[in-house]
Order: sequence, then C-alpha cells, then structure tokens
Amino acid sequence: MTRYFREISVTLALAALLLALAVVAPSFYQAQPLLSLVAREAPTLVVTCGMALVLICRQIDISVGSQFSVCSVVVGLLTSLHWPLGLLVPAAILLGAALGALNGALVAGLGLPSIVVTLATMVTWREGLRWLREGLWVDLPRDTQWFGLSQTVGQWTLVGLSLMILALLALAMRHLAAGRFVYAVGSDVEAARLAGIRPRWITFAVFVLTGAFTALAACMNVAQSPQVDPNSGAGLELKAIAAAVVGGVAISGGRGNLWGALAGLLLLACVGPALTHLHVEAYWEKATHGAVILLAVVADGWRNRKLDLR
Amino acid sequence: MPLGLVPSLPHLPPPLRAGLRRLGMLALAVSSLLTGCKQNPDSTAGNPSGRAASASGAKKLTIALLPKSKGNAYFMSCKKGAERAARDLDIDLLFDGPTDPDPARQNEIVDNWITLGVDAIAAACENKDGISTALRKARAKGIKVITYDSDSQPNAREFFVNQATPQGIGFILMDEAARLCNTQGEFAVIIGSLTSANQNEWRSFVEERRAALYPNMKMAALRPCDDLKDKAQSEATALLAAYPNLKLFLSTTSLGVPAAAEAVKQAGKTGIVKVVGLGLPNENRRYVKDGVTDSVILWKTEDLGYLAIQAASAVVQGGLKPGDKTFKAGVLGEFQVEGDNILLGKPFIFNKNNIDQFDF
Amino acid sequence: MSFLPSDSSLPNPSMKTPRRSVLSRHETVLLIILAVEWWFFSAGGRNFNTLDNNFDIIRHSVEIGLLALAMTAVILTGGIDLSVGSLLGLCAVLFGALWRDARLPIGWAAALTLLAGVLAGGFNALLIAGLRLPPLIVTLATFSLFRGLAEAITHGMDTYTHFPETFQFLGQERWAGLPAQFPIFLVFTAGIWVLIHRTTFGRSFRAIGFSAEGARYAGIPVERRLAMVYVLAGLTAALAAIIYTARLGQAKADAGTGYELFAITAVVLGGTSIFGGSGSVVGTLLGVTAIAVLNNGLVHMRQPREVAGMLTGLLLLIALSGSVLLKRLATLRQRWQSFPKPTPRISTL
Repeated sequence: MTRYFREISVTLALAALLLALAVVAPSFYQAQPLLSLVAREAPTLVVTCGMALVLICRQIDISVGSQFSVCSVVVGLLTSLHWPLGLLVPAAILLGAALGALNGALVAGLGLPSIVVTLATMVTWREGLRWLREGLWVDLPRDTQWFGLSQTVGQWTLVGLSLMILALLALAMRHLAAGRFVYAVGSDVEAARLAGIRPRWITFAVFVLTGAFTALAACMNVAQSPQVDPNSGAGLELKAIAAAVVGGVAISGGRGNLWGALAGLLLLACVGPALTHLHVEAYWEKATHGAVILLAVVADGWRNRKLDLR
Repeated sequence: MPLGLVPSLPHLPPPLRAGLRRLGMLALAVSSLLTGCKQNPDSTAGNPSGRAASASGAKKLTIALLPKSKGNAYFMSCKKGAERAARDLDIDLLFDGPTDPDPARQNEIVDNWITLGVDAIAAACENKDGISTALRKARAKGIKVITYDSDSQPNAREFFVNQATPQGIGFILMDEAARLCNTQGEFAVIIGSLTSANQNEWRSFVEERRAALYPNMKMAALRPCDDLKDKAQSEATALLAAYPNLKLFLSTTSLGVPAAAEAVKQAGKTGIVKVVGLGLPNENRRYVKDGVTDSVILWKTEDLGYLAIQAASAVVQGGLKPGDKTFKAGVLGEFQVEGDNILLGKPFIFNKNNIDQFDF
Repeated sequence: MSFLPSDSSLPNPSMKTPRRSVLSRHETVLLIILAVEWWFFSAGGRNFNTLDNNFDIIRHSVEIGLLALAMTAVILTGGIDLSVGSLLGLCAVLFGALWRDARLPIGWAAALTLLAGVLAGGFNALLIAGLRLPPLIVTLATFSLFRGLAEAITHGMDTYTHFPETFQFLGQERWAGLPAQFPIFLVFTAGIWVLIHRTTFGRSFRAIGFSAEGARYAGIPVERRLAMVYVLAGLTAALAAIIYTARLGQAKADAGTGYELFAITAVVLGGTSIFGGSGSVVGTLLGVTAIAVLNNGLVHMRQPREVAGMLTGLLLLIALSGSVLLKRLATLRQRWQSFPKPTPRISTL
C-alpha cells in the first residue's frame, strides 16, 4: 500500500478536486465539454507516457514539444495531400522515431547529458520549423477530421486509443523483461550492466519510443482539428514532465508508474477549466499550476524526510 | 601569442600564477580585438542631402521591417505587401523579428540595425515604451523611423501608418458583437496573452463602447490563450460550459476566432453562440462559410505592409514631410495624413459574401 | 544532489585525463570557435567589427551573463535552476510597483527588489536544501509560480514605465567610455570568479556536485552551501531585473522569458559539466560571448533569427560531442600506447 503512496495520494487529490467542483461548480459536469476536454488531453497523455518512460530511465527529454510540432505539421501536410491513414500513421511514427533516435544516439552513444542534447535538438527543430513554415497554418481537407467518423465517436476513439496505449505500456513495463530493464537502468546503471543488461541499448530504445509516441500523439492532434498550428507543441514538454512527476515518477529514475502519470495529468489539466468554472480571473492560472506541482513534490519530500533515518 | 610576452611572476604561488596568466592572455585577446575594430562605422544614414543629390547611380536604400513576432501569419502577409513595395521602389528590404516573447528582443534587433546602418526602420511595436527607447536612439543617429500596426511613443518616430485607430478597431468589434446579439446578453473575450499591449488597448475601447452604447451587454469572462490555437479552443469549450447564458465569443487575436468557432461547432451550438473577432480570411474561411462565424474583421494587411515601406522610403527621400495632408503611395493611390498618422482606411468586415475574394 | 546519472556509461573513468588540462582544452576550443565567428562575421557582415556594435553585444548580454554566472555555481553543485528567468520578470514587476505605486525612491526600490530576489532564492533553497527535493522539479514549479505571481501583480496588463532619466542611464548610456552596466558586470564576474575558484566555498560546491554524500562525510555543511547557491541565483536574477528595466525603460510581467535556457546553454557550452563537479567561470563567459556574437553577427549578415537559434543548438551539440570525442580519442591513444609491443615471431621453418 505504501509502495503506491504517491499514486494513491494524487488520485485522492484529483478526486477531492472533482468532488469540490461537483459541489461548487456543477457546470463542470456536462457531457460534451468534459468529453472535449478529455479528448484534447489525449495526445498529451500519450506524450506523458513516453516522458514517464524516459524519466524512469533516469534521462530527460525536453525536445518532445518541438518534435510534436514538427510531426503535426508533416502529418498535416501529408493529410492535405490525401495520403491514406494506413500509410500516414506508419510514416509519422517513422519520423518521430528518427527524431528520437537522434537524441538516443547522442545520449547513449556518446554519453552526452540528456538535458543538454534535448535542449539543443528542441531549439534546432523549433527554429527550423519556424524558418520553414513562417507561422502558416496547415489547412486540412474537410473529411479528415475525426478520421472521417462523427465527432462523438471520434472523440471516444481518441480517448480510448490513448488509454489503450497507456494500458499496454504499463503492462509491458511490468511484465516484459525489457520493461523491467528500464527500471533497472534507471535505478543503477552499473548494477544493470553487471547484471547483463545493456544500458546503452535500453536508453537508445527509450528515446526512440518516446519519439514514436510523440508522433502518434501528433497524429491524434491532427485528427481533432481542421487546421494545424505549427506552434502546437509549445510548452508540451513541461506539461508532460509536470504530469509525470506529480504522478509519482521520480526525477532521479527507477521509480514510478504510468497510472500515476495519468492521475497527475488529469489533475493538472483540470486546473484551467476549474478556474474558469469557479469564475476566477485568468491571471491566477500559472501561479495555481506552479503551486499544485510544488504541493505534490513537497508532500513527497516531507514524507521521505520522515521516513529517512538521518 | 608567444609566452615571452606574458610576464613571469616568480614570487606568486603556482595556482595563482597560472590563473593570472590565463586571465592575462584573455585580456590581451579581448583588447586586441577591441582596438582592432573600427571606431566609426560606415553608415549611410544621416546623409540625406548627399543621397538626394546623386540620383540614379546612388546606392540602394535599405529599409528594415520589424514585425511584432515572426512565425505569425498576419505579419507574413504584411511582409508580402512590403516586398511588393520594395520591388516597385527598387530598395533593399530587411525583415527580421523576435522569435520569442521576451520584450527586450525587439530592442536588440533595432540596436543591431542601427549599427548595421540601415536608412529607415518600419516597426510594429510590441511594447510601446520599451521600443521607444531604441527607436529614439535610431532617430538620433539619423535613421528615419516609421511605425505601423501598433504605435510607439510619438517622439520616437516620424509617422505612424495606422490601419485603423485602436478606437476604431475596438468600436467596430463591439458594434458587430452588439449587432449579432441584438444588443443584449453575455459575451466572453479571448485574447492572445495578458501582456499584449495593443490587444489590451483594443479591449479597453471595446469596454468603452459597451459602457456607452450597450449597457445590456456584459463581458462575462476574459481568458488568454498563450497564443496557442489549441489552448484557445479548450478555453472556449470551458467557457461554453461555465457560462450557459453565453451568447458570443469576441476575440482580439487572430488565433482565437477559428478556435472559438471550432469549440462552438463541437459543442453543437452553431447559431446559438456567435463568434466575431479579428482574424485572417484564410484561417476563418471554412467557419464563415459554415455559418459558425458571422464576420471576421481585419484590414488589408498586404496594403499595410506596402504603405509602410512606401512611407518609409518617402520620408528618407524627402517626399513625405511633417505637415503634409496627403501621401501618394505607389499603386495604392492617395492616403489621408492626419497630423503624423497615415490612415490606411477603416477596418474591413469579411463575411460570407466577400471572403472568397481574398487570399491571406 | 546530482539529479542526473553520473556518466558511468563512458569508458573506464580511472583513465580520465587530469582535470585541469581537460578544462583548458575546452576553453581553448571555445576561444577558437569565438575567433572563427569573429573573423567570419567581420568579413561577411557590414559594420560588425565596430566599437558601437561591440558595446551593443555587451549591453545585450549583461543580464544573461549575470544569470549564466549564477547558474554556473548552481550547476557546479549538481543542481539546476529553471526559475531564474521567471524570477527576473517577477523582480522587474516588483521593482516597478515599488517605484511607481509605493512611491519609493529608486535606490530604495532597487534595494528592496534585491531583497525580494534573495527571499525567492531562499524559497527555492528551502525546498531543495531543506526538504531535499530534486532541483529540476522544484525550479520547474517555481518557474510557473514566479511568472504567475508577476502576472497576478500586474493582472497581466500593467506595465511600469517612465522611469527617471538618471536610472535609465544605467542601461542605455556610456560611463567612462563603456556601457554603463558593464562595470557592475565586471565587479560581479570578479566576485563570482573569486568565490568559485579561490575560496573554500567554491571548492565545496565542486565537492557537493561530485558527490554530495562524500562531501557530507568530509564535513562540508551541504545544506547550507546549497542554500547559498540558490539564494545567490535569486539575488542575481533581481540584479539582472534592475539592469533589464533600465535598458528597456519598461517593466513587464513577461520580462526574461526564455532566459534560463539561454543561461544553461551558455554554461554548458562553456565546459561546465551538467552533472556537477567541474566547471569554470571563464568558460561560462566564453559561452555567453560565443552565443551573443553568433546572434549579433548573423543579423549583420542579414540572416533571420531562426538561423541563429538553429546554429546555437548545433554549436552546443558540436561543442559537447567534440569534447567527448576528444576524450575518447585520448583514451584510445593511451590504450594503444600501453599495449605491449608484439615480440617478433621467429620463424621455425
């Protein structure tokens, strides 16, 4: 029970927030806006899965936002060229994997620190995209929204898809040897190496997977809108990191699971709409966001302090 | 750098010696660079009489165009118009702008242009007071300064190419909103960011108009979207749920109009909740055609860019002076000059009937 | 307190070349890069190599330089501070509010702003050193929190302007022939250099970055030293905010957006290890200069801003990969040289 203390406490906090909203602002609970909110967060959830993976492996990837923008624009352009879905999604995943592989090669191959490598690639992709697109949106053909399905079905599909990816990844992390290896590498690289695991390949694979997930999230994002904004990935990496960490994934690696990340993401995603429904002024949003992250982390640290025998 | 040049200091302990030696080499390098550089830059600014005298073998004018930010479709279309003017006038056009929202970036670009020695700067000012500091410096060095789209302080520029006064923009937004709501009801405002100076100015005029003419209308909420279309859509969705009596979305950022329209469409409230705002025709075409957005307000952005460059060039060459009442800008014809404001005209309302005629 | 793994994936760490020669090699590489940039832009750009432009470069990079120097100390301890940019914005807004709304004289407003910076840095320090929370996450949270507070104070919209001429002199004019903010920067740099390279405090920062536990057992008061660096970072952000306001003549809530990443880039480019334990102030200065010259030079060559951004990213990657590859080459060479020479086989045929 105490092993999942963090995940449970975040879920309880989320439940408390939802309960408070039910009492004070029942307008929050309307079917369509709630579904739209969750469908909008579905791509972020997929990216958070990848980010949680990277964090558990004791690395960090702050380039996911720029990767997301690049993939969104490319997917948007290909969609407007009427590529079929069956060709589009694999192509996008390949692109994302390639971007991730670049990060992985530098981090695992050359041993460079991941924060610096991903900082450099983030700036490079972002500026390169801006240079090429100059801020122009990509107009998508009409029938491609929601994969050609109706809006509600499309939204449920996206939500279901993201939850399925989450569940599959969570199961893989727990039951597949490769999943356990990620935890091992994140806990102690030397011990993992001595145990016969190859940390470099695991690290490389984690970055490639993150890139692939980001590309998938970009596809889901494009499916939702009739136009693609090349700035759409701005701030995504911080959102994903905050969600993962609030959900119990440790920055120092080796600890955490994806269900906690889901709870963390939902908690942070509800902050904005909650403020709107509570009729609070907009300029409190950033401060509230920061305060929530701090509370989550401080509570964890407090508990660690009491448990540590110093 | 031969080591013999660096003094040996036998009486100091080795680590200090090594550190001092390294610092000494660094200082030598820096000072040689500084002394090697030119004191007086070659600049063509501040010499208008010389230029006007030598007519056709003269050096091409260099005019620098500063948008509020790059990666913004609105300023890209201004740039297109500016490029057309540059071709017509045979001048060199420099286009550069900040790529991140920090307010100091525009100043840094202007500073760089001053040392580069451009002849004129046409600037859209993100921060009225901050940029005026740099523009005044440019004027002091003889560079002519024009502002367009958003003004700086008046003493920092020669003329302001005004697409429409902020008052005009605010009033027309409120008037359209009132027309769509039959002058009563609640409306929500979506803006780009809370710190955007001219959006705040427009909003204040919207409020002024509302208070004066439409007291039965009330602004229920104001949300920023951090200049992100997806966030604007989420905000609009939340607003629709939180304020069930909402009748209209008003957006002062071009991102907000299609985003709010999409939110209204997804909520199934097309026709019940109206959408109006400042926006580009291309981005809003499909919603206007579908009837989700009634009207989009803007002005001819290409003409704005064209006029700005024409005016800048004319100021440099003496064709436009303080006190002029009209100004002829190339193929666009004559424009009114009111004091130091050159007026493009009134804001233009794009709706179902005319949106197909435009492509920007 | 290292928040990132030690680089144990590299070949045998005991074969590292002596630290001082590695550092000086990195700084030499940076100097070469800087010289190449300078030569390239002087040749290709117009009016690049002029006194006015040099002063512009200095003027534009003083605030980032201050943040990068403070960040060097933080990264030396193996931590990181993502909140310095937002703190700059918050301090700028506080400064404006104190001067305009509370009607304090500029000197008092500046002093109180510095105090506010110290308190904010102290808040970070409390969480990081006191509660032993990971610096990345704490400063990620305060990154939002400080910016949010700045927006809340101004309601996002308010800006503070029309500061007195004597104050704006600090950011815009020249004093004794140099940009007015430069002497402050020099004094600060000298102070930081002495702190990091010539005092036991600086040595303890390195020790903590190398191994916090080891430092603790060696008797170093780890928590107090960590608190010191984060408070220093807060103070520096406040000082940079005052200079920024003087340069711009305006204080807004979004001041300093993106500065923390610029500072981290400069520090890492300068050769400081992001894992902590090694680094130099001179390297950071060279890093700031290299990036500032790159940004400035590209404008003089009429290239758009985005190219500067992309090249900065590439420069960072090349500089880092370069030093790693050099180290590997050195290790390989050592291994080759240490192989016993094969004894010549005498044919028995």
